[in-house]
Amino acid sequence: MENYIEQLQFHQKTQVIKISQDGVILETDTSLFNWKKGNSIYEAHPFFEILRSFTEEPGEQSALNFPCIHLENDITDDERICDVSIVFQGKEITIILYDYTEKYNELNQFAQQKNESILLSKKLELKNKYLLEKEEFKNSFIANINHEIRTPLTSILGFIEVLEKTKLTFEQEELSRIIKRESKHLNALIDDMLDISKIESGTLKVVEERFSFGELIDGFKESYQKVAEENGIIFETQIDDAIQEYLIGDRTRVFQILNNVLNNAFKFTEEGKVSFSISKNYQRTNKLSLTFKIEDSGFGIQEENIPHLFDRFTRFDTDKQITGTGLGLAIVKNLVDLLNGEIKVSSTPEKGTTFIIKLPFKFEVTKKAATERKKKKYKLPAGKKKFRILVVEDEEITQYLVMKILISQGTFFVDIAINGEEAINYIERRTYDLVIMDLNVSKHDGFQTTHMIRNNYGDKYISEVPIIGFSGKADEHARDKCLRSGMDDFIAKPFEQEELLYKITKQIAKKAAD
Amino acid sequence: MTLSKKVVLLGHFGVGKTSLFRRFVDNEFSEEYKVTLGVQIKKKVVTLPDGRELSMIMWDTEGHSDSVEDTRKSYLLGSHSFIYVFDLTREETYKNLNKDLEYLRSNYKKVLIKVLGNKLDLVNEKNTTARLKELEIPFDVLTSAKTNKNVQDFLTNLAEEITV
Repeated sequence: MENYIEQLQFHQKTQVIKISQDGVILETDTSLFNWKKGNSIYEAHPFFEILRSFTEEPGEQSALNFPCIHLENDITDDERICDVSIVFQGKEITIILYDYTEKYNELNQFAQQKNESILLSKKLELKNKYLLEKEEFKNSFIANINHEIRTPLTSILGFIEVLEKTKLTFEQEELSRIIKRESKHLNALIDDMLDISKIESGTLKVVEERFSFGELIDGFKESYQKVAEENGIIFETQIDDAIQEYLIGDRTRVFQILNNVLNNAFKFTEEGKVSFSISKNYQRTNKLSLTFKIEDSGFGIQEENIPHLFDRFTRFDTDKQITGTGLGLAIVKNLVDLLNGEIKVSSTPEKGTTFIIKLPFKFEVTKKAATERKKKKYKLPAGKKKFRILVVEDEEITQYLVMKILISQGTFFVDIAINGEEAINYIERRTYDLVIMDLNVSKHDGFQTTHMIRNNYGDKYISEVPIIGFSGKADEHARDKCLRSGMDDFIAKPFEQEELLYKITKQIAKKAAD
Repeated sequence: MTLSKKVVLLGHFGVGKTSLFRRFVDNEFSEEYKVTLGVQIKKKVVTLPDGRELSMIMWDTEGHSDSVEDTRKSYLLGSHSFIYVFDLTREETYKNLNKDLEYLRSNYKKVLIKVLGNKLDLVNEKNTTARLKELEIPFDVLTSAKTNKNVQDFLTNLAEEITV
């Protein structure tokens, strides 16, 4: 042992220290650290405090090895990474430091790279998870706030309709018209916000449905002709006769695109005309592409502003009387992209603007495609004078509004249940011709209550009663979810009086025909 | 005479043991991740409520990638306390926690063991606490070495507890 230690003392990467049981350095070289004979080893480095536990409570150990210990020299700021051997020989303790700093530093580089890459991938995973959670929170927040805003808005719009049917002075009529216009604007703003949020989160889905193209265009002609007359401008339309009556595409989104652009054209045209033309671009097998051209003689857009036209919250007009959110054209552009179409704009200041939109559609090649389906008219069954309706709704104002609309028809009795449990109590006591079911009531929500009605009763007057879902969460999923859960139809808040009455009549008539 | 107690930081790599070690000893923090190879040792002198001074000899060990059993046995010799650190953002750093604690408790019966969830600044405290309860993960404290949240209080409490 003595010889071995002597040999090590000449090795430049090794230091040998002999200490007494109370930690005083008896002998040492200074190959690695300049520790002095007579000093305490405990002062040299806190690592050596480990010796106290062996000197205070001596055990049977004769040697201990501690690999890869970082030892710093406080005076020189020098750090060495050593393997440390401690040898117990009677009352003396020998400490041998082997300096492997270079070897450990090399190893350290590999470990650093390996650990860093693992941590980085975990960090990215976490970031991704965080973004998804944030997106989920945002979507649910928007959906909830949408519901919260739509509920009072339903009441405002509904009561204006009720109010309009009463005897009003000219001034009152004018004021109610303003309230209606502003409420509709607020409603449109909520729709825009929802759409932008869905587009951003990628949850906006394209729906392929068969729809009457003629009816869609007639709707535009009719409503914008009125606007043109009110504004004292000309509205010209030119529709290619060769376009099929029924097309397959996303009617709602096509309506939204054209309505937005037409609305803008009228908004920014004070005199002259707005023209709207539709032509076939091409037709192959069951596919066709249509070109929609909307041209106005309005304010026009400065050339430098055109590239920013489809950016969100972009408004170039300084006229504060023209209302808008600055979201409309951003939505249009996103929707056109989503439908695999294209949109171009050209404009001359003070002369007008032209939008050209190309959209693809499909059509049915069978003969029946050209005929068929207009909005069917329904009548309440003749055998009964009054029909009993249960309205399940917890919002007092909406209860009052629906009741007011229905009772004013003179053909309905109305009961109100404020939650699912109360609805079940009513259903068990009385026979109803129809139930209007708010989806978010307490004590069994609308879906649970519907499930109970459909499944818990042998009496078909209960289990087969027509149910119309009713909600402020006006997205395509809400309707699907209602139909899947056993409801017969869905009404989104805010609703129009006409729509409410149409759907109630339709469901009661269908049930009577069964 | 100054009391001296050995405290060893244990846990997976990258959980923030060195960051806590630097917070404990020098009250410093760095965003830079530097792998620890072997062990670094520093002394922190703490004044106890009764006026005595305690030298806490902190051992910051190299993180393991699977189980605490991979930690070199010699590093654990003569310890008075183990601080088992896990990363609140990485479930793999605490999924074997109960097994690791069982190993430590059965092999180091006299050692005071504390469990600390770190990187609190990166998570929602309420949700994370609920998740840990759901997974039945025991812990003594949740900390952030970055913001220093709960770090110094934990150290003060530990100093008192190991001198009782």
